[in-house]
Amino acid sequence: MIAMKNLWAAVAFALFALLPVQALASIDTIAVDVGISVFKTTPIGIVPFEESAGIDWIEERPHQILTRDANLSGRFDVVASEKFNLALFSRAKAKHYMTGKVQATNDGKLAVECYLYVSQSKTLLLGERYTVPQKELRRAMHAFFDKVIYQLWGERGVASTRIAYVSRIDGVKQVVVSDYDGFHRTQITRDSTISMMPVWTKGNKGLVYVNFKTNRPRLYTKNFGRSEKPLFQQFDQTYSPAVNPVTGELLFSSSKDGKTDLYVGDMETGKARKFAYLKSNQTSPAWSPYATEVLFTSDRGGGPQIFVMGKDGSDLRRVTFMGRYNERASWSPEGDRIAYTSMDNGKMNIYTCALDGSDIVQLTNNAGNNEHPTWSPDGKLIAFASNRSGTYQIYIMRKDGSNVTRITQAGENTAPTWSWFYDENKPQPKEGSK
Amino acid sequence: MKNIVKIALISSAACLALVACAKKQQPQTDPAAEGAPAAEASQDSAAQALTQAQADSLAAEQARLDAERLEAERARLEQLINQIMSEDVYFDFDRSELTEKAKELLAQVGELLLKEQRFTITIEGHTDARGTEDYNFTLGAKRAMKVKEFLAAYGIENSRMESVSYGKEAPKAQGETEEAYSQNRRANFRVNIKQ
Repeated sequence: MIAMKNLWAAVAFALFALLPVQALASIDTIAVDVGISVFKTTPIGIVPFEESAGIDWIEERPHQILTRDANLSGRFDVVASEKFNLALFSRAKAKHYMTGKVQATNDGKLAVECYLYVSQSKTLLLGERYTVPQKELRRAMHAFFDKVIYQLWGERGVASTRIAYVSRIDGVKQVVVSDYDGFHRTQITRDSTISMMPVWTKGNKGLVYVNFKTNRPRLYTKNFGRSEKPLFQQFDQTYSPAVNPVTGELLFSSSKDGKTDLYVGDMETGKARKFAYLKSNQTSPAWSPYATEVLFTSDRGGGPQIFVMGKDGSDLRRVTFMGRYNERASWSPEGDRIAYTSMDNGKMNIYTCALDGSDIVQLTNNAGNNEHPTWSPDGKLIAFASNRSGTYQIYIMRKDGSNVTRITQAGENTAPTWSWFYDENKPQPKEGSK
Repeated sequence: MKNIVKIALISSAACLALVACAKKQQPQTDPAAEGAPAAEASQDSAAQALTQAQADSLAAEQARLDAERLEAERARLEQLINQIMSEDVYFDFDRSELTEKAKELLAQVGELLLKEQRFTITIEGHTDARGTEDYNFTLGAKRAMKVKEFLAAYGIENSRMESVSYGKEAPKAQGETEEAYSQNRRANFRVNIKQ
């Protein structure tokens, strides 16, 4: 009889014990939006440029480059027309259109005139002239396109920005840089050992990355056209670099005796100090746009979850609760959301959420692994790596997950990091403006 | 100008002489029981020459045995090193705890290291291809550390062990199968011999 009572007590206890577990489990069922487009895009007309005879085209034509920029930008819907067509532009609500003229110069260059017009009145809003060798036509058109964005949106565009990523070359991972659209790839590292995790130093002067030449992960920096310099050699294994957008200081992970901590240091003097004293392991740091707070990953709950704290190590909060593997957060330049990678059933996918972890939106789904999201400096786009085609390649999508465009074609490419703005002289858009 | 040529000639002659000396000295260093007495004896009788030859052949025999012993020792060490380097320790997904099988295997490695005090090791922690590069570095570091802690408890001095994480960067098996993943979630060893 007593045994019976005990049994019931045990069952009752077991039921009670289960309750909190179920309450926790319900966290796993937070509603997630999958790729609902919330983007406001503006129609814009694009008309092929008038061409002088005798241009031997190897590159895309100017209007094709502008069309690609407009499609990638996340700001426009292209209304293509062979010539100016008011009826078409008006029906498609394209209030503006771009066109121009291109002719060959005597010394083998191209003279390009680029125009932005108001469709109804044919008022010229913007005119630019570039004389460039054909191989630099793309960059000239990117420069014009960013001027168009500034004219129409009052914000800086990203057509002149670049992306650093890791490319497997002759079997070895090397750091490379290309224009944001994947063209003009330049190899930065030429080591026989793995190079990885590139990030941009302030002013886009160079990169910080990890190399294995000393048989361990260690940070190096290299200004473009200069030689490489090892960083923070007083630490054992260093990786996960994050450049402070205000001071240029480097926040990074260092592992010693199985414990991984965050450190922050000055790349010039080589001095560094521990960033936070936490019992857990911490990695993947990311600064807020004005460097007041830091996102990072901690394994204090067993698996990786995203946390945030002040730059002085105060006010630690957990951000992600859904799922068991949330890693590598990055703060949107507009400051209002974070992008991160989550693993579910062994597959990696990209999500964004609000700073308190609510309002989760899944951006990639059912297309291989998708990881390493990096924001464009205007916050409109996210570049990432995916093996949806069979090999890892770099893609760009809008911040709502729509309009996925592949920008690398061959080999294996991973770990993209977007540069800062290239036209530093333009005023910074106001905080919170869209 | 002439002086420089002269100096050059003299110095190159000196070099040659040195090389020649070195060559002449070599055979003398080999036989263990040789030296001044042998030099004196050289002018003596044929009997002495005979004992000399015997001593020579004995010494040669000794040298051959030494070489053989060294070679055997080298082969033994090589075999041990290979054994240690082939003893990969495997882990469960996103875990750094040692499995029972891993502990058995590490005890064998610990035994070898206790016997061969000259061995120092680098413990490399690895992960499978899933997950981010960053987190996998921390996971690999944790795995290497768990192995190091086990061996330290087994009696290996910490000064003989170094741990390093390769994250997911150095897979042993390619592919996206559980088979490949389980092969890659591992810690392995590099062995150095302390001089």
